[in-house]
Amino acid sequence: MKKLKILEPTLREKNRYISFQVISEKGEEFTYSDLESAIWNVALDFLGEHGISKTSIWLLKDCWDQKKQIGILRCNHKSVQAVIATLGLIDRLGDNRVTFKILKISGTIKSIREIMG
Amino acid sequence: MNFYDFHIHPEFSEGESSIEEIARRAKLLGFKGICITNYLTSKSRIKSLKKEISEVSEKLRFDIFIGLQTKTTDQLKKLVRMRRDYDVLLVKGSDLNFNRKAIQTKEVDILTHPELNRKDSGLNHVMVKLATKNNVAIEVNFREILQSSKNTRSVIMHNIAENVRLCKKYKTPIIICSGAASHWQLKDPKVLISMGCLLGLELNEAKKALSEVPENIIKMIKERQDKKWVRPGIKVVE
Repeated sequence: MKKLKILEPTLREKNRYISFQVISEKGEEFTYSDLESAIWNVALDFLGEHGISKTSIWLLKDCWDQKKQIGILRCNHKSVQAVIATLGLIDRLGDNRVTFKILKISGTIKSIREIMG
Repeated sequence: MNFYDFHIHPEFSEGESSIEEIARRAKLLGFKGICITNYLTSKSRIKSLKKEISEVSEKLRFDIFIGLQTKTTDQLKKLVRMRRDYDVLLVKGSDLNFNRKAIQTKEVDILTHPELNRKDSGLNHVMVKLATKNNVAIEVNFREILQSSKNTRSVIMHNIAENVRLCKKYKTPIIICSGAASHWQLKDPKVLISMGCLLGLELNEAKKALSEVPENIIKMIKERQDKKWVRPGIKVVE
């Protein structure tokens, strides 16, 4: 399939990267899919399908550190608050109680990767 | 910027976590201090609570204040009389007359969730003006949103947004609290700020609601502890 021509920087959507840590009850190690489904379920409940479509939310798979339980969420610059509030509304992952700690919000993935080590 | 959470219930007051668990989690999440909220108790209980709190506070090097919450007018009168014995006076809102009574009382620091179990927002422009005059902060309670869902959540969020709109117009202090009943319900300050933004606050206003407004209450606590303080607006001058 022929790829689209890349948009000029001024026309591209402005991304924000939110790094977060999942603090769990007994130090459980959650997988990427556990987290992804929890985020999608809560976001669909809270923001709705139309709301989510405006956020361009995406959980980066290659940035999920299962040992440290640190991950990066991508969204557009206009919906950072909505995405962070959604993370705050996740209080359970399966049967485990969890809390999300927001580590950093950045405009580039490079600077946010520094805190992940 | 220092952030504070001024409405947390420990295990002895409808909560399920110990003071130490709460303080540790709050520190981890990036708070500078918290207020442990309890319902009206005797003076001796307040003393023992103070001792318990100061031990944890010193151990963790973390600010912990004592807040007493009231549900009835009689309790409010009692708490006003013993105002010097504790740090923060919170009033549990919901009943319209009681909301008004709380707002008219200068000793009150925070009116918590005025829209609780109501179809309306629990506040009108007259009450909000009074709150500004008496410097009573109106609370945005995160637990109410967290523990509700679907249509209930949307009604609660609409009512809170309505209160926020009125408070912004009449420059009434707004405070955002987690209202946590367990250390698992404590939220990152950034989450509370974001929720404030979704409810109609600007980013700097939401940050103020977690830092400047609690800091003003702390300032009042320090003034109250001064021996020259008699009651709000009255001080002994030598």
